[in-house]
Amino acid sequence: MVIRFALAKGRVAKKAIELLIDLGYVFEDYSEKSRKLIFTDTTGTIEFFLVKSPDVPTYVEKGAADIGIVGKDVLLEHPAQVYEMLNLNIGKCKMCVAGFENHPIPYGKKMVVGTKYPVIAKDYFHTKNQLVDIIKINGSVELAPLIGLADCIVDIVESGNTLKENGLSVLAEICEISSRLIVNQVSLKTKREMIDPIIKAFENQL
Amino acid sequence: MLFNYTIDGFENIQHQDYFALQQINYKLMSLYRSFGYHQISTPTFETYDLYVNEDSIPSDDLFKLVNHQGKVLVLKPDATLPVTRMAAMNHPNSQDVIKFSYETNIYRNFSSPEIIKKEITQIGIEYFGNNSPECDGEVIALAIRSLLENGIKDVHIDLGHVGFINFLFDDLAFSDKEKATLFKYIENKNIGDIADYLEKLALPDDKKAIILKLPLLYGEPKTVLKQMEALCINDKMRQVVEKISEIYAHLEVINLAEYVSFDLGFTNQMNYYSDINFKGYINSCAEPVISGGRYNHLSEKFGIPRPACGFAIDLLKVIDYMEQHQLLPQDDQKIHVLFYEKSQKSAAYKMAEQLRSNGSIVEVFLMNNTKEIHVASFQENALYKNAALYFLTDDKLLSENNGKFLEIKAIGSESEVA
Repeated sequence: MVIRFALAKGRVAKKAIELLIDLGYVFEDYSEKSRKLIFTDTTGTIEFFLVKSPDVPTYVEKGAADIGIVGKDVLLEHPAQVYEMLNLNIGKCKMCVAGFENHPIPYGKKMVVGTKYPVIAKDYFHTKNQLVDIIKINGSVELAPLIGLADCIVDIVESGNTLKENGLSVLAEICEISSRLIVNQVSLKTKREMIDPIIKAFENQL
Repeated sequence: MLFNYTIDGFENIQHQDYFALQQINYKLMSLYRSFGYHQISTPTFETYDLYVNEDSIPSDDLFKLVNHQGKVLVLKPDATLPVTRMAAMNHPNSQDVIKFSYETNIYRNFSSPEIIKKEITQIGIEYFGNNSPECDGEVIALAIRSLLENGIKDVHIDLGHVGFINFLFDDLAFSDKEKATLFKYIENKNIGDIADYLEKLALPDDKKAIILKLPLLYGEPKTVLKQMEALCINDKMRQVVEKISEIYAHLEVINLAEYVSFDLGFTNQMNYYSDINFKGYINSCAEPVISGGRYNHLSEKFGIPRPACGFAIDLLKVIDYMEQHQLLPQDDQKIHVLFYEKSQKSAAYKMAEQLRSNGSIVEVFLMNNTKEIHVASFQENALYKNAALYFLTDDKLLSENNGKFLEIKAIGSESEVA
């Protein structure tokens, strides 16, 4: 039996792979430049593959992967039936509303929000009873208020440097984001002897 | 103009699958019948009020429509409620033991994701009027055997009890919102967020420690029972431990305990479960295929207090799994296709009727082309994969075999005429 990891491409995957290597797993054929899609450790008990982050919950929910490591932002935006077992406290950042400092959120008046996270943005503004038009943007979200496409944006903010360089600032914090270890609901029960030690090991690394 | 007639969440069932579905249906109904269950059926429509008052299914998930009297109806979103109501209406003596089985489609208007099925074919049983661990044991045993008897080996039942968490929370004055948040985290085994959330609540540390252990109460039954005993803070919780250990003992007696493990982290998704609840998995299938439990207070709402326990199988999910693992019953009965020349019409129809009376499948067509063209067109048709072709010409009966035509005496005998 093999335990399969689905990792979200990017910084978090790098840290997760480092964690796996620290736990004693050896991936001979892995290097950052490798074009292979699946990497297996030398004992043949663990394999991992790298996918786009919104696909991680899908792979885990459908059982194509037993374990996934992905940001909370993705789990909020693409809810999946998975066990969210560990907060790994890596890839920490905040989900924020950002815009021009001299134009605070005009509560009571409709505004246009540009975001990669329409679900999170809609949930947030609905709980605030704020009228919004949400425009889904796939990248360079900061551009939207600069060229007048949107009044403000909802996005993850790590250092805040990108915002600052473009004259934007955080208007409101929505929630904290960090990477989570998620597990397929059936795998946790049926492959318990193998998954439990891995989760414990990750827990001890925190 | 509308060219796309597909509706998200609804699918045709192909003929091979439908054949399998009927076979499996028959097999399961025979199994339930051998345990004394009577098959019943309830209407496709229910009143909206029945579900909205029950608070078990979100109102957004219901397909609603208004009838000519202005009454709001829903497409049946669940089988247990109507079956319980039927039992209450037709069997007013609350001491009666009633065992019902059903096969029905249910409809849920899930908003997302789009690929999720909204028409679900369910087969299940409901056992009313018995509150014993043996009754729970019978229901769980039938859930397991429903899969085993269809050749599925990797069966796994996760047994929980909503009382364990509820009786604990009864002693800790949580607000509804706090309860709902904690339930959600426990259900997702989200230990990290539970810890963060508990930190904000005014609660003694020992109680917090108990809540943090709830998501981890799963796995091998005997181990979990020991862990549960250590967490009990009131008698009701102790009774829960006793109850599920009795059910487990019963499953040991009937040799099905190996398929069962515990998970006390199930909270009450369907509000009516009052007691045990369970989910059935097939190991390599990522989603549960069976869901069931005990609902002792539901029948009261229809005027007859009566304990009950039951489960439902998501039949099409099971069929998907069986198809992937070549477990589906195959329709391999041969189809006889008989072509006749116009002059032979009466002989051909007579021959066909005779074969049908022996249980054969026979189709009759007029020959309006050469034999070769008829053969070619039928070979291309997937529905005639199992077909044997015959030609009745000039008082001769020919059987087609790999493009050759052999004279035979009668269909079925297949022996060549010397």
